[in-house]
Parts: sequence; structure tokens; C-alpha cells
Amino acid sequence: MMTRILRIGWSLAAATAMFAANPSSIKLLNVSYDPTRELYQDINAAFAKHWKGKTGADVTISQSHGGSGKQARAVIDGLQADIVTLALSYDIDSISERSRALPANWQSRLPNNSTPYTSTIVFLVRKGNPKHIKDWEDLVKPGISVITPNPKSSGGARWAYLAAWGYALKKNNNDEAKAQDFVTRLYKNVPVLDSGARGSTTTFAQRGIGDVLLSWENEAYLALNELGKDKVEVVVPTISILAEPPVAVVDKYANKHGNGEVAKAYLEFLYTEEGQEIGAKNYYRPRLEKVAAKYADRFPKLQLFTIDELFGGWQKAQKKHFDDGGVFDKIYTPGK
Amino acid sequence: MNYRNLWFFMALSIRPLQILAQAPEPQTQEQKIQELERKVEEIDQRERVAERNRELEAEAAADKARSGSTVGAEPTGITIRSNDQNFLLKIGLDIQIDNRTFPGESSVPLTDQILIRRARPAVSGTVYKYVDFYLRPDFGQGSTVLYEAYIQLNYFSRANLRVGKFKPPVGLERLQSDDDTSFIERGFPTLLVPSRDIGYQVSGDIVKRRVSYTVGVFNGVPDNGLSDASVSDHRDYAARIFLTPFLPDDSSPLKGLGFGIGASSGNNDGIPLPSYKTFGQNTFFSFASGVIAAGHRTRLAPQGYYYNGPFGLFAEYTLAEEGLQKGTVRRDIAFRAWQVQASYLLTGDKKGFTTLSPNKPFDPKNHGWGAIELAVRTGDFSVERGFFDYGFGSVTATPRHAKEWVGGVNWYLNRAIRISLDYGNTNFGGGATAAAGGNRPTERALLQRFQINF
Repeated sequence: MMTRILRIGWSLAAATAMFAANPSSIKLLNVSYDPTRELYQDINAAFAKHWKGKTGADVTISQSHGGSGKQARAVIDGLQADIVTLALSYDIDSISERSRALPANWQSRLPNNSTPYTSTIVFLVRKGNPKHIKDWEDLVKPGISVITPNPKSSGGARWAYLAAWGYALKKNNNDEAKAQDFVTRLYKNVPVLDSGARGSTTTFAQRGIGDVLLSWENEAYLALNELGKDKVEVVVPTISILAEPPVAVVDKYANKHGNGEVAKAYLEFLYTEEGQEIGAKNYYRPRLEKVAAKYADRFPKLQLFTIDELFGGWQKAQKKHFDDGGVFDKIYTPGK
Repeated sequence: MNYRNLWFFMALSIRPLQILAQAPEPQTQEQKIQELERKVEEIDQRERVAERNRELEAEAAADKARSGSTVGAEPTGITIRSNDQNFLLKIGLDIQIDNRTFPGESSVPLTDQILIRRARPAVSGTVYKYVDFYLRPDFGQGSTVLYEAYIQLNYFSRANLRVGKFKPPVGLERLQSDDDTSFIERGFPTLLVPSRDIGYQVSGDIVKRRVSYTVGVFNGVPDNGLSDASVSDHRDYAARIFLTPFLPDDSSPLKGLGFGIGASSGNNDGIPLPSYKTFGQNTFFSFASGVIAAGHRTRLAPQGYYYNGPFGLFAEYTLAEEGLQKGTVRRDIAFRAWQVQASYLLTGDKKGFTTLSPNKPFDPKNHGWGAIELAVRTGDFSVERGFFDYGFGSVTATPRHAKEWVGGVNWYLNRAIRISLDYGNTNFGGGATAAAGGNRPTERALLQRFQINF
């Protein structure tokens, strides 16, 4: 009797092991920031096909979206992401530092500092641009209502804030006081602070609030396509910031799930011609020159500065502007 | 009219015309509409902004509610609970201070004493929604003993897995918390079942809570004993099935009826011999020198209760066949015990198997006096004659049977605090005196307890 029970037990254990080792049931979790839903839906479908062709295995990728800072916090708190594709490198650095789920040198593991595509911050205004908003200077005029998310929780909002600050620095010969005054006046015109970029788009487009939305470039064009050219217009300022959203494998969880190889392949796929084309179609600026040339007409030319150039990198920018007690906390008073 | 008057008249006529010429031009209809539209748009924006901000505040509040935690002081303990209900930490405490006195003369030395019977802090809780834990040491009576330390997986409601140290599923009164028993000390059947053991257990309620089952495998411990380690390769297997056929029917007078049977079986080689005690917690039963546990041990414990309003009835019987060996003699010896309890709450509160919560907790200023319970029980313990015939015990040192009756009164001031007074009388038969044909003298015990438990 005991032998029989043991036999059954071994059979069950063997079946379980076979099931666990079966490469045809791979599941990945990509924890991303707010406006990438559409991009990764397309990427996931293409990569699943690519992986199936290459290995014969099926791969299913789940997505999770939210403000970049909030998403990073979720991973630090134990959300078992195989991959993170966030709005800024500081958020992935935080995961690395606080949870040790991936090494500190994560950014050097993929080309272009692990940023397969870039973007920038542009303006979305109402049809006909009734408030005549052309550049950053127009955003601080009295009576202009600006919509942008909260930089404490949204990566896109941090890029937008720094884009405004950078504009003011360049206009005022790097005078920090004048830049702070400019950004203070800008945020006095912000009546609503959503927690993420998608929430701000809802505020502007669905709720009909504000004259201008500071938006990721891709989010602006997505809204334009969805709402129609008879409702909104995209305004490209003369100068903005080069936003470089990074991607990384979260080694701790990817390895735990046995997904290390496929997670790496997923991110490498973003750099392929096919991956770059999907990015460009979703209004993310491609890194690959060939694809960038093909889609050049999608991306207006404007002067772009980098975060390293004006702010000394994300660590410094975060500490000075967005950490508790930083500049943003001083200049922004809710409800005022 | 002379010229002077004419000039004066003309001057008066021209002045209003000049004033009229200097006044702002009246708005056109279109300008007025535009102005109104601007104002309406301004008001509309203000309204929209206010509404959106309210939405965001509500979202933030909901977010905070999901991610935050709440600290609470509840009748069942001090709690810290995550607002998403996935995590819970609970701190509880069980302190019992007893006063034991033994009225009358006795040839057996019985010591009157005030003692800390139990002092058990308990840390329990839940992690990741489905996993419970429980840790409870005891610092009472001058020693530190780990009573409970277990983890329980509750993912499948009909099959919960518990691992660690806890009460094996055999005796009914043993499974009842010591704070919930109607008497200060437990009855004879509990002497024959394990107290705490280390092992694995699966349990669940099925058939709409009409049937509860438990099966487990344990190290094996002496009767009424506990241990933190195994003394042999052998294991004790325990199982219990308990039926409450009318439990789901709230209107049934038999809702409080429950009955079942618990059992255990295993090899008891090397397990220490048990110690059996009276209601007054004096050891009355002893084994002869050189006797060891050897062979097989089987326990069988039919059990049941019936609760209806303030009335409670409780009964169980335990048969334990213990393999014993002395020298080359090896026999299975049967120990038997039973008890019947009845209780009644004078204050009309509802009696049950678990903790009693008085309808009117103690607060005399507001006419609250708690709950008062009267309880009686009788019980019997015996060992088969072979115990003496095969030399496992001596009639000069150990009685063959004991019979008790106990009466008590319990005052439940509230759910946490209880004061009890019990009087117990235990008669012995079949030996335990040096003189042939004599019996161990009757033991009369007056026990009083102050208890706090939450």
C-alpha cells in the first residue's frame, strides 16, 4: 500500500516538474508607466510571435501601468515584475537601491543607457488654440490654465517640470532664481494635479479642464488621433527636454520565475527594426537611424536638451527638485 | 435775450454734449455676448476643476485606505490591520491567578497555594491574506514552555493546512480553549489525550458547516503532555470528525447540537510515561519502577455537546490503550475516562462552545453586571486490572479508579475578565494505600481563579 502511495506521489511530482519546466507556458509581467499601454500592447503581440517563431514557445505578457514613481514603489514593495519599463532612470535606480532586485549597473546592460526610444514634452491645446499658446512663455500668462500631473508621482510630470525649468534657464543665461520664478508662476496656473500622465489627459480631454496640457509627445498624438483634429491641436515649443524612458530586467523576479532569458530577449526586441518601427508608430522617437529617417515626418524638429546637460543627471535633479522638501514642495501650494 | 444770456445758454447746452462724447462707447450686442460667454466659461472651468479635484481627492483617499493600516483595541486583542485586510498582527494575553485550598484532613500531603496558573502572551496574525500564524508561550508556574507555534494556510476554505505545534484533534475538552471551559481545571478524559504536539494537519468545514473534519500526523507525546521534539522515528496519526447537523438552521432548537469522534494511533516506543492529576492538580496515578511505554497506543474519544440559550450540556468518553513493558512483559493496557457537564447562565446569556460575551458587561452605574454561570460535572477514570496484574503499577501506590464531581460558579464580567469558584470532590477506589484493601483518601479541593484573556 505504502509503495503504491509513493508511486502515485512520484508520478504527481514528476508531472508537476514537467509542467513547471514546460517552455510553452511562459508568463511575463511588464510594469510600466502611464502612457505606454498602447505601445506595449503592440510590442507584446509582435514579441510573442517573434518568440514563438524562434523557440516554439508561447509567451504571454501582462502589463501594469501607473505613475512611474508609484510603479517603482510597487516593485520595491514586492510586485514581482520580470521587466520594468519606466519613465525615468531614477525610478529604476530606486528599485535597485531599495530592493536589490537588479544590479546598480543595470543601465549599462543595454544600448543607449537602456533607453530604446526617446520622447519629449509638447503642448496639447484646444482646437484653434484660442489662448494663442505657442511656447513656454505663454504658459505663465495670467488666465492660462495648465494641466500637468504631479511630479512627485509621475515621471512625465518630472520631465515636463524640468523642460520648463530648462527653458527658463536657457532664456535667462542659466539664472536659477529666474528659472525658479518662472516655474513657480507656471504652477500657479495649474488647477489640478493628477497622479499620472493618463489621468491628466483625462482631465484635459474628457473633463474639458484647462487650456493646455503638458504632455508626452506620444500621449499628445494619441489624444489627437482619438479625439480628432477638430477638438485639439498639438503645439511644439521651440525647446524642450530629451526624455529617455529606460527599460530593465528585474533579475530577482525574472530569475525566480525562470524568465531571465525571455525577459532579456523581450527588451532586446525593442531595439530591433521591428521593435523600433512599433515605437515610431506609437510616436516614440526611435534610436535606430534607419527607422528614425523613415518616420522623420512624425517627429517635429525642435531644440532638445538632456537632463545631464542642464541638471547633472537624475539623481541630482531628483534630490534638488522632487524629494520631500525640494524645490517643488516650496513652489507648489495645492489649491492656490 | 441779450448776448450775455445767449452765451450762457449755449455754454449750458454744449457741456452735456461734451460729457456724452467723453463716455465709453456702448457695447455692441456681440461684445456683450462674448463677455457673457467668457464669464460662463470661467464659471464652468471653476466648477469642472472643483469636481475633478474632488474626484482626485476621493481616488487618493481610496488609495490611502487600501495601502494604509489601522491600529485597534478589540475584545479579542490589540490589532494592527492593513486596510486591504491582507495583513494582521494581533497581540493577546491570557493570565490566570489561582488560589487552591484543600479543606479537611488528608493522609496525602496537599499544599494550599496561590499561583500563576497560566501567563501566556499570544502573537498571532495574517500575512498575505491566506497565511495565519500563532505563537504562544507560557510563563506560568515558574517555567517557560512553548505551547503553540504554528502556521496555517487558509487558501482553500475546505482544506486548511496547519503546520507546527498545536492541539492534535482528539479530545473535545482539550480542543476547547482553557478560557472557555466551564471549570477551572479540565476533567478526566482530557488526561488521556495529547495536549500539544508538533505535526501537520489538514482541516475544514464541509456540507455547509454541518461536518468538520481534521486529519494530521504528529511526533507523538504522552497523554496530556507536550514536547518540542520527537523521541523516535514513529509518528502518531490523529483524526476527528464532528457533526453539527443543525448548525446552518438558525431557528432550530438543535442548532447547538454537535457530536463526533476523535482518534489517534501510533507507536509509543520511548515516549515518556504520562502523569495523571486530580481536579486539584495533584498526581494520583503512578507507574511502577522500570515500566516503559512500548508497542502501540490507540485513543478513541466519542464526544458531544448541546447548547441552547443559557443551557449547556457537554459529554465525552476516552479510551486509551497504551502499550507498556516491564522487563520482558509487554501488554496493552486500557485506560478509560468519561465526564458529563451541565451549565446554566442565570443572567440569561447565551452559552456556547466558544467564548462567552455577556449581554450586559460589568458596569453597575449602567445596570450591567456581566454574566453568572452555574456548572456541575461528574466524571470517572479507571485502568484495567491487568495494569496491576502485570506489575505495571502497585495497589499500594496507585488507585485503580477515581470518581469526581465538581460544582462551580463563574462570573463573566465581560468578554475578557472572569472570576471563578469551583469545589471538587474526588473519590478513589482500588488501592493506593499501604494497608491492604484501603483507598487513597478523598480529595476535596476549593479552587478560585481570576482570569483575563483577550
